[in-house]
Amino acid sequence: MKKLLYSKKVAPYVFVLPFVITVLLFWIYPIANGVLLSFQDVLKKEWVGFKNYERLMTDKIFLKSVYNSVRYMVGTLVLLIPFPMLFASLLNSKLMKKPGFFKSIYFLPALTSVVVAGTIFRLIFGEMGTSLANQVIGIFGMEPIKWLKNEWTGYFALLCIACWRWTGVNILYFLAGLQSIPGDIYEAASIDGASKWQQFTKISFPLLKPTTVYVLTISIYAGLSMFLESFMLWKGNNSPQNIGLTIVGYLYRQGIEKRALGYACAVGLVLLVVVMVINLIQLKATGTFDKEER
Amino acid sequence: MSRGKKKDRITSIFLVIMFSILAILIIIPVYTIFIASFKPGGDLLQYGLNLGIDWSRMSLDNYKLLFTGQHDYWQWFFNSIILTVITVVLTLLVSAFVGYGFAAYEFKGRNVLFVIVLIILSVPFEVVMLPLYKQMSSWGLMDSYVAVVLPFLAHASTIFFFRQYLLGIPKSLLEAGRIDGATEYGIFLRLVVPIMKPAFAAMAILNGMNAWNNYLWPLLVVRSSDKYTLTLGLNTLINPYGDNYSLLVVGAFFSIVPIFILFVCFQKYFIEGMTAGAVKE
Amino acid sequence: MKKRLIAVMLCVAMMASLLVGCKSGSEGSGDDKDSSGSAGSNTMEVEGDYTELEVWTFIELHQEFYTNMAEKWNEANPDKQVKLTLSNMQYDDMHNKLSLALESGEGAPDVVDIELGKFPAFMVGDVELMDLTESIAPYKDTTVESRLDIYSKDGSRYGLPTHVGATVAFYNTELLEGAGIDYTQIKTWDEFKAAGVKYYEATGKYFACVETFANWMINLMLVQKGGDYLDGDGNLDLTNDTLVEVLQYIKDMQDTGAFATVPGGQPDNEEAYPSYNSGDYAVQIMPFWQTSRFTSYMTDLEGDVAIAPAPVWKDGDVKSIGGGGTGTAVVKTSENADLAAEVFAFIKLSEEANKEVWNVLGFDPVNTAVWEDEELTKNPDNKFVQFFNTYPFDTLNEIKDSIAALDTLSNEKWPSINNELVTTTLNNIYENGMPVKEALEESQQTLENEFN
Repeated sequence: MKKLLYSKKVAPYVFVLPFVITVLLFWIYPIANGVLLSFQDVLKKEWVGFKNYERLMTDKIFLKSVYNSVRYMVGTLVLLIPFPMLFASLLNSKLMKKPGFFKSIYFLPALTSVVVAGTIFRLIFGEMGTSLANQVIGIFGMEPIKWLKNEWTGYFALLCIACWRWTGVNILYFLAGLQSIPGDIYEAASIDGASKWQQFTKISFPLLKPTTVYVLTISIYAGLSMFLESFMLWKGNNSPQNIGLTIVGYLYRQGIEKRALGYACAVGLVLLVVVMVINLIQLKATGTFDKEER
Repeated sequence: MSRGKKKDRITSIFLVIMFSILAILIIIPVYTIFIASFKPGGDLLQYGLNLGIDWSRMSLDNYKLLFTGQHDYWQWFFNSIILTVITVVLTLLVSAFVGYGFAAYEFKGRNVLFVIVLIILSVPFEVVMLPLYKQMSSWGLMDSYVAVVLPFLAHASTIFFFRQYLLGIPKSLLEAGRIDGATEYGIFLRLVVPIMKPAFAAMAILNGMNAWNNYLWPLLVVRSSDKYTLTLGLNTLINPYGDNYSLLVVGAFFSIVPIFILFVCFQKYFIEGMTAGAVKE
Repeated sequence: MKKRLIAVMLCVAMMASLLVGCKSGSEGSGDDKDSSGSAGSNTMEVEGDYTELEVWTFIELHQEFYTNMAEKWNEANPDKQVKLTLSNMQYDDMHNKLSLALESGEGAPDVVDIELGKFPAFMVGDVELMDLTESIAPYKDTTVESRLDIYSKDGSRYGLPTHVGATVAFYNTELLEGAGIDYTQIKTWDEFKAAGVKYYEATGKYFACVETFANWMINLMLVQKGGDYLDGDGNLDLTNDTLVEVLQYIKDMQDTGAFATVPGGQPDNEEAYPSYNSGDYAVQIMPFWQTSRFTSYMTDLEGDVAIAPAPVWKDGDVKSIGGGGTGTAVVKTSENADLAAEVFAFIKLSEEANKEVWNVLGFDPVNTAVWEDEELTKNPDNKFVQFFNTYPFDTLNEIKDSIAALDTLSNEKWPSINNELVTTTLNNIYENGMPVKEALEESQQTLENEFN
């Protein structure tokens, strides 16, 4: 027995065993369970067929939450991939003095918990004239705004939190990617007379592709499943006109606040499908998936 | 040549200015809460957070409350540290073990399993959260840290990272180990783990951040207030009773400081590890 | 190397501060501030044999009250002593945890405070709370019945009320006098509105708020007109004429400029307290328990506030409505459910308890006999008597026989209706200027979708 366990044939399976167990217990089983629950009315303990899904399709609040989540995700993709990539390239340049100092500072927000960050931003975007956001627009002669009561200003506040927390992390991801590009490629290009900008577009950008795909994947995932930022910013799950309601927020509202567990599971499965589909398309388009499978 | 140097210097100054502005923008929110930590908690609600400094309203009272007052802040802090350390240590060990399995061996089913790793990478945890909650409670694990930690032990993105990192180690090293008579597990423990230090550093920081900031899952699983983590505890302070806001503002600020200093100290290893494990083709 | 040293030192320093923190935490008593009831758990000291009861609440003030009353119970019943372990949680968190715990049949406390707006959610399907009808029986005759009814289903009572929550008006007399307004002359909503306009013209400040995150004033106005959110058959009816009229009336008030939305969306919100405290708004139409918010969070107003009956539409309308509330419930599966029910009926409904409700919490007790005990209600040492410049109970006794209830508030549809109103409908109307009828139609549609 012991010998078998130690053999080179069996060892690999022992190594991956913890993963297999985790996946079965904490992913496959609950997802299967979720699928079953999504066909039930859990409180009344009865099977309801596709009723939960039918209700989803006409549930305006759910559709609103999907819209909010997708809009948030798109916003974070636009802001949190190109800029950090550019910043990382500049930070990586030899002309930049003391990059370590800046890297530490940029990483600081990621170390603050969302509970703290959300509370800070809630108070920065307070509706009184003395809140920082209103003081800033006051400089430009604008009247105080009720930031968290309007659709687009609320969206703006959410994006501010996202940029504040993740710019630094993404910069570090890209820096790590850049540092694995051999320096002599740049030297050769420089001798050939390529400008810094050309070096960025022709060398850094294509060679950063794996990093970009990775960041893109986790950003899509994180954007669509965002919840806590909104929960803290509006101090709960109820924002005016549901401007801060996300898919996970709706799942939370239905499953926990309204005790409609079956309906919530249906919401969760829709989220799962949306994330999977978007990511599969994205991985297919970037060609990453094929490579991994081979 | 000297003209090029001059141009370089200008570019360099320009870069420093640009990044300094970015740094200031990023520091501002932390700075506002730093300032606020010297003001009475009630001011938060009346004025919001801003950069205003009004010496007559500022004092060390909040800090006095934090260090000598009667509250559970330090209990939460302590719980968070314990939970973070346990989570990080266990997750790193288990995930490294699995990651090594993927990186070092060819075996039947490996590719299928690895695709599963990739898929799990993009499954939001919230999807399984509710059924998982039912499951945990039927196993009698409610209100225990076991339930908080268990689902994340074999962590897909950490496994993925370790596998990427370990793809880079020479197979000859492993063969040499085998020739010396080491078992497969011995090779992992004695030869591989030591060279994974930078990868461990990088993942320790990322997983540590997640564990330290984790909110939703502990919120569901943890019940007794003596087991609250810092995030759960701080959230109970968002309520104007008594000195809550004073404690909230100073506690929130104080929760950032130690972690940040630790990060600064280990930053070098972090970047090193991230680079070595960077996503490769 | 140096950096590592710093890191190690930091860890040591952190641990050391932890130990110091813990130590001072267990000793700390020299603090004269009232921070002992701050978030977290609270356990009382009991000598001799006792049964331990776990209690969840979301109102920190209740902790002190329950502990005091439990001590009284222990004195009177040395053979049935109890020791309360109180956990205070955030409002949403506590209700969510309770619902999860009841669902999974594990981890629920013995006793729990459930807010009125959330109560109906726990009345769906098999009720997992204990039927308290028997425990209430000894106190039934002295308790306002409508306040028992709001926590009941099919004739069984599941919650012990804390207060009546009679809706009254709180006038900042100092500000009003400055503008030449005599609040005692305000009897009807029209006069209320006119006074607002006059005040606004004189001072440029707002008279009262337009609610967007609650419906204290709206419910009162609605009930006075005999309106409701449901039709006679219990079906959702948000577009009924009465509701439209009421919301339109408030909209007209807002259009005068004298009434405006407030940060936080309603007077009982931490973001709103500062606005009242600094005199940005002069009047609040709130349930009586707002008294405790004044003494805790609007302390600058001491001596400036008068309590008076809220306005009516016309003579003969009901003068008030019970607003808000917390029903203390016992979990059916608790091992000590019977004892818990008996103890908490005493803690919340005995005459002694009713007096304490006023003394400690500043609420209007559910035993209205207590309202006439002038020794109690006019006690010059009482902080609430000291705070207001009228005797609070004079107003209560004046409206005593005219306090209505809105049955819909205990309907199982109410949590969803309320949620829709305060997140969407009222914001649409008073923040975004959507026509009343249109906003209500939209919400009617959203809710119909949910109820089907």
